[in-house]
Amino acid sequence: MNPWPFVFAAYGITGAATLALLTWSYAAMRRAEADVAREDAA
Amino acid sequence: MKAKHQRLVLVLLAIVAIGGAALLAMFALKDKAAYFYSPSDIARLKPAIGTPLRLGGLVADHSIKRDADGVTIHFIVTDGIANISVRYTGITPDLFREKAGVVAEGALTAPDQFSANTILAKHDEKYMPPGMAGQKPPMGKLQ
Amino acid sequence: MHAFANPARFLKLARPLTPWCLGLGLALIGYGIYAGFQSPPDAVQGETVRILYIHVPTAWLGMLGWMGIALTSLMLLVWRHPLAAVAARAIAVPGALFTAVCLISGSIWGRPTWGTWWQWDGRMTSMLLLLFLYLAYIALAGSESETSSTERVAAIFGLVGAVNLPVIHYSVVWWNTLHQPPSLSLQGSAIAWPILWPLLWTTPGFTLLFAGIVLMRMRTLIAENKKLARMRRLARA
Repeated sequence: MNPWPFVFAAYGITGAATLALLTWSYAAMRRAEADVAREDAA
Repeated sequence: MKAKHQRLVLVLLAIVAIGGAALLAMFALKDKAAYFYSPSDIARLKPAIGTPLRLGGLVADHSIKRDADGVTIHFIVTDGIANISVRYTGITPDLFREKAGVVAEGALTAPDQFSANTILAKHDEKYMPPGMAGQKPPMGKLQ
Repeated sequence: MHAFANPARFLKLARPLTPWCLGLGLALIGYGIYAGFQSPPDAVQGETVRILYIHVPTAWLGMLGWMGIALTSLMLLVWRHPLAAVAARAIAVPGALFTAVCLISGSIWGRPTWGTWWQWDGRMTSMLLLLFLYLAYIALAGSESETSSTERVAAIFGLVGAVNLPVIHYSVVWWNTLHQPPSLSLQGSAIAWPILWPLLWTTPGFTLLFAGIVLMRMRTLIAENKKLARMRRLARA
């Protein structure tokens, strides 16, 4: 059995999931902290 | 005793109780939660002929024999104490080989004869590059 | 520990720490994966062994995450530490995601080596249970009625769920399983050095990345709590 499709699939899914989690956490944090900063300024 | 300490004692007692109960449950499950039975388990538990079960162990050295049809194989599963002969028709995983781990799904046809419908390879916890076999790893444990 | 009861003081530390954790984590992972494709194949498994470098760190994080939830739950129940509930909730989503990734990468690894995508053996079943515990915890702790009693129920759940951690670890020792016994222990390594060493980069790398994500989630939850508290004050006034 050719091992490479399995190796690349595992790395691909891990990479995609990790990047999605990173982006989502970062965006949520930026949004929440910006909201608070705006209200603090008001 | 301060409320804080009271809570700490209470929580720790609860943890010990739950942990103990879980541990007991796990040991009670030992046979039921077994994913496969070894040849000596089968000799001890004597499951009925024809009951579906999984047999696991090592493929005995020089035991794989291929029938004239080319797809039926016979081999011996051993755990060093008891042996069971297995008959299987079909494709085996790449890692299925002599002196390696195997799990066979199927049923006994006699107390020491097993007919398998699925063969899975089971590898051990050792990893080493080709050609390094027998060499000692840096941190011990490897034989 | 109680020095960080004050969110402002925690944020002062968390803000500069976040990019360091993320940056260093990504760098270590990047180098570890590069090294993991330079290392030799395994004598038995061949090239598929490279899945090790992501499977092991994600399995470790799935379990480390619940250890964190259990520990912060204890802090919440006993010391009523205000940041503990935030930390526990912050861990839940990344913990669940890495547990899922561990299960998926393990399944992909299982097909070419064992000859199956999935089997209900002790290790796989207990790891799947961990994923369900995470999902239940997220539902429980994330519910909008953010009162101290729901916090406490979630904390008790977090503590009780920790029972599954030793079960996952010892499943391959106590029971016959398809999954092999642990390769790494305090006694040493059953993985030869040329195959092992990239793992010593990716594991701390993923752990730092996880820490960075948890910090980001904690900052998000602190900001949201602040917003919520302000809205409640305005509603009362």
